[in-house]
Amino acid sequence: MTGESGRDQRSTGLALKLVGAWTLVGLPLAWGVWQVVHKSLDLFK
Amino acid sequence: MSLSFLDREHTIAGEGYSRWLVPPAALAIHLSIGQAYAFSVFNLPLSQRIGVTHSAPDDWKLSTIGWVFSIAIVFLGLSAALFGAWLERVGPRKAMFVAALCFAGGFEVGALGIATHQFWILLLGYGVLGGIGLGIGYISPVTTLIKWFPDRPGMATGMAIMGFGGGAMIASPLSTTLMAYFKTASAPGVAFTFVTMGILYFCFMMFGVFTVRIPRPGWRPAGWTSPPPRAMVTTGNVTADRAITTPQFWLLWLVLCMNVTAGIGVLGQASPMIQEMFPGSISVSAAAGFVGLLSLANMGGRFFWSSLSDVIGRKAVYATFFLLGAVLYALVPSTGRAGNVALFVIGYVVIISMYGGGFATIPAYLRDMFGTIQVGAIHGRLLTAWSTAGVLGPVLVNYIREYEIAHGVPKAGAYTTTMYIMAALLVVGFVCNLLVRPVDERHVTAEFAAANTAVA
Repeated sequence: MTGESGRDQRSTGLALKLVGAWTLVGLPLAWGVWQVVHKSLDLFK
Repeated sequence: MSLSFLDREHTIAGEGYSRWLVPPAALAIHLSIGQAYAFSVFNLPLSQRIGVTHSAPDDWKLSTIGWVFSIAIVFLGLSAALFGAWLERVGPRKAMFVAALCFAGGFEVGALGIATHQFWILLLGYGVLGGIGLGIGYISPVTTLIKWFPDRPGMATGMAIMGFGGGAMIASPLSTTLMAYFKTASAPGVAFTFVTMGILYFCFMMFGVFTVRIPRPGWRPAGWTSPPPRAMVTTGNVTADRAITTPQFWLLWLVLCMNVTAGIGVLGQASPMIQEMFPGSISVSAAAGFVGLLSLANMGGRFFWSSLSDVIGRKAVYATFFLLGAVLYALVPSTGRAGNVALFVIGYVVIISMYGGGFATIPAYLRDMFGTIQVGAIHGRLLTAWSTAGVLGPVLVNYIREYEIAHGVPKAGAYTTTMYIMAALLVVGFVCNLLVRPVDERHVTAEFAAANTAVA
């Protein structure tokens, strides 16, 4: 039981790390892309 | 303070580590150093450091400021070539840390130069120190990603190198916002913007430093077995010193140089080019939108084409770049003459996506040719092709345009010859790519033989 809960904790920790890491790089990138998309719309006006 | 945590042996991944943490670590570095492509947002404010709202007689000229970016790119190429072998020895964490110190330090020293109005300090800071950070940072995650993703090396390196394209998209609005915040009646706020960006980028890059790991010896992805031997993928390893003596290295050098030359000149001239080719129908803001669209194509192409290369092979992807690129370049003048803006835009979006794709696919091509052991160092040396193309591309586009206009060609038609020359360069690239054959066995290093995967 202890082994299983330890494994659960480790996999939850890893999942959190993955979500955190991808969010940390994904958010600024998404913001930058949005800025460009927003500006690019002028081409089609 | 002990810095032993930076050592290679302290970065070997433990049992519970996921390889999907490596791409964000690599992206943290590339998204930061990709700022270099947005340096031009500082040009005008730097030329008004004393006059604030206008250029005073003692202010730096725009042509002088242009040297900062050029020197940074030259030092990118030099440091990537010089420090590649060192990087393979010390591992990615120490290299990323040094890259962060140099890149962020470049901003801080540059800020000092701006505050004291000493151009040489700015040049030494952002140009030299920052340029070294760019070079080491650019190549530092490549070997690591290739080792973690032997099943998809193109996609893995493409993801990181995509960050270099995306970095400018973050840096441009960030710099503008910070300059607006720090601007006062007596200063345009560039020095404080440099200080702030140096701190922000250092912190962001440190996330990459702490997150990156190398696989333990013998590691391979769960359930993955080495694919059957293929003619264009080596199972041995060639050292960086040996690689540069092979025809394959120089053919790939030309392949990268031709692909970059064809794209880089157009990228720098995109805004005036679309306005001049379609006089009266493209406004300044629409031209800025076109430039933005090309940045997206540059970034997206890096991921798309390098991932595709895992499926159809590197040689086939480069053959596509060169054939399709040559056809599109040859057709672009006709779209201009026909006044077809949509076709013109689509043509350039595809061309620039392949420009980005060329950067992102080359590390995997090198891995196929020379193995994984020193692929980062080999990649670093190959990047001198980028520095060469960085001079060649803009010179071709700008000088031929000026020559044509001086000889009475209307502005709308002044790019026609250039486009045909670009198409010819791509044909040269196609031939070079066609000539690439597997590396001769005599170049394979015996001590690394058959150690192609997952050797930390």
